[in-house]
Amino acid sequence: MSDGQRGSGAISSRRQYAPYLEADWGFKNTWYPALFCSELGENGIKGVTIAGHDIVLRRSRGRAYALRDRCAHRGVKLSLRPMCLTEDTLSCWYHGFTYALEDGLLKTIVASPDDPLIGKTRIRTYPVVERAGIIFVFVGDEDYAPLPTLEADLPIRITDDDNPVPHILDDQVYVRGIHRTGNSNWRLAAENGFDPGHLLIHWDNQIVAATDRKLALGVEPVSEGAIRIIDEPDGPKGIMNMYNTRTYRFIMENKAVNMRARGRNAYYARTSMVLPGILLVEHWPIPGWAQYEWYVPTDDRHHEYWEILVGHCRSEDERREADYLYDSFLEPLALRDFNDNDLFAREAMQNFYEREDGWNNESLCAFDAATVTWRKVAARYNRGIQEPPDSASRR
Amino acid sequence: MAADEPASAARAAGATARRVTLQFEDGIEKEIEVGADEFVLDAALRQGIALVHQCRSGSCSTCVGRVVSGSIEMVHGRALSLLAAEIAEGARLLCSSHARAPSVVRLQYPSSLIYGDERRNFEARLTGVEWPVPSVAKLAIAVDRRTSISFNAGQYVRIKVPGTEQWRSYSMCSTPRELPKMEFLVRIIPGGVMSEFLRRAQPGERLEVEGPLGAFILHPGKGLHVFVAGGTGLAPILAMIDEIRRASGPKPKMLLSFGCASDANFFYRDEIELRQWWIPQLEVRLSADRVDDPASALLQGTPVDALGAESVNDADASAYLCGPPPMIEAARRRLAEMGIPAERIYAERFVAS
Repeated sequence: MSDGQRGSGAISSRRQYAPYLEADWGFKNTWYPALFCSELGENGIKGVTIAGHDIVLRRSRGRAYALRDRCAHRGVKLSLRPMCLTEDTLSCWYHGFTYALEDGLLKTIVASPDDPLIGKTRIRTYPVVERAGIIFVFVGDEDYAPLPTLEADLPIRITDDDNPVPHILDDQVYVRGIHRTGNSNWRLAAENGFDPGHLLIHWDNQIVAATDRKLALGVEPVSEGAIRIIDEPDGPKGIMNMYNTRTYRFIMENKAVNMRARGRNAYYARTSMVLPGILLVEHWPIPGWAQYEWYVPTDDRHHEYWEILVGHCRSEDERREADYLYDSFLEPLALRDFNDNDLFAREAMQNFYEREDGWNNESLCAFDAATVTWRKVAARYNRGIQEPPDSASRR
Repeated sequence: MAADEPASAARAAGATARRVTLQFEDGIEKEIEVGADEFVLDAALRQGIALVHQCRSGSCSTCVGRVVSGSIEMVHGRALSLLAAEIAEGARLLCSSHARAPSVVRLQYPSSLIYGDERRNFEARLTGVEWPVPSVAKLAIAVDRRTSISFNAGQYVRIKVPGTEQWRSYSMCSTPRELPKMEFLVRIIPGGVMSEFLRRAQPGERLEVEGPLGAFILHPGKGLHVFVAGGTGLAPILAMIDEIRRASGPKPKMLLSFGCASDANFFYRDEIELRQWWIPQLEVRLSADRVDDPASALLQGTPVDALGAESVNDADASAYLCGPPPMIEAARRRLAEMGIPAERIYAERFVAS
């Protein structure tokens, strides 16, 4: 049967990634960064919101725990006024409902020690792992099993490169970065991260001038293989822009507006994006380093923007040098100045997508093939679409 | 629809009443007294237990239950829609059955599905009619915003054909998540009242709807889900697959075998391919009884043939069947051979009208 004979006509690519468009609140059943380890000191208590889940983190005897940030009693956030009365519990500041860190069970009520509720009610807990100086929390269904590994929810390990950038879980690495709030839906942020056509916003950035980098005006996929699908068994799923091959055309000049790429140092490294929305830019901001980015959904119109730099580091001397480089160059020029422009662009898209149904009214062009491929891959391989909090409580 | 008068309460009470225990899927049990001349469904309704039912005349099969012990006999002389094999396995239409001894009847749905006090009628607006192929229409309606209805994927409603007094039953191919939108697949029958209506239907037209009805719903289970659908029997199956896609937790492995009468009127291949893309756990087999164009790449035969001869090595497997009665009968036999126990085979039969 030919396409022409099918009465309903060809399925639009929008329908093909329809589940992605349902994911206003992000994908669930996945590991997300919650805090830097250094942000949660011993006995520290902090509240975060990830994909609509209010989560309270507490560190006790060195270990980080994550529980639902909502007292079973009257629903107040436990993190609003941190209170810890024992090493293995967390207490609500209001009436003293006291929960076990391990399983969230109600151990006692300060104001009612013989209450029949004790031992019978609980608040949910979230799996936690700490790696590379980051506290990761598994956000989604409480009964999800088996838990995927953290590695499955991280960018792939690069092996097919003469000088491969390090992986964040490698032993001898330097990992530092920042996180801040982005006022846009997480998908707009993620799509900006690897967008081959967005180099224009970086045209005049300080780091481009300082490193005399020959930054193309844009890159355009021109042949098969430009976009590689990442589909590791039980591992990361996503896409990779193969900028290091001839499958992309680099736009160095646009005569219609008399613009030409400046700079002398021309080399182009790959970008990849894996579920649940993690960017890897190889050899950025400088050769041998890698930039990781997460766009952790907070709600349907905010995300927490994580920018992490990963470099090789084999000794204390190298660590000192890396600190100097990070503090005086990489953070201010790359994570701040350069990425400020990305944050600006993501927030600028929000209005259209939120109020004017941008998902159905956008006009994508040739270089957006990578974006469409990412959407399809995300639609297929996600482990579940996060429902808004109000619908979750109605069910 | 035949109008059978329910047995009166007065006649029901008496020394000859039999105790019937109704076992629901969620473990809840209810006991009722069934008079000698009373139908089991009528007795349940009289005693405030609104079992899932619709036609009350033995034709729709909605009220089916399975005898665990005792003796439940169906009456003769009604157009009863159960297959002999199903009756042999203990299936009974409760709207047309008497209790001959104290009995236990198992129902293939949870007690939460028992109808409320009132059968719900509501109004909806026709929003569109699409024609995937000339012999199948997709009908889309929108429920009025002030109506708060819900349903389970797999259930159906009855729709009154505008300008007539005729009602027709259709399963939703959309899921409850898409409410207030509801969508249906309608098999077009030359001269059929709904078919004729759909040809001239205009968006905005008001429709009278009754429901939701039926007990063809998803049952909890992590094992393989086998779906067998013939023709527009695909509708509730699609709703179930979409519901599983959006449900929480890991998805079960699924096998969908879908067939049409011929490759020329095969429909929704693109919709099924979409689901295959969205759900890596979904395997699909597509077939047609008559294949004229080999390029269609359809398997020749019925969706039951397409299941092949392999067996299911999954103790937790279950199956959902929807299509014409002969397909369901064949599928039951095949699935039993494959090793799926009869009590985990759920079916909804489609009869053209």
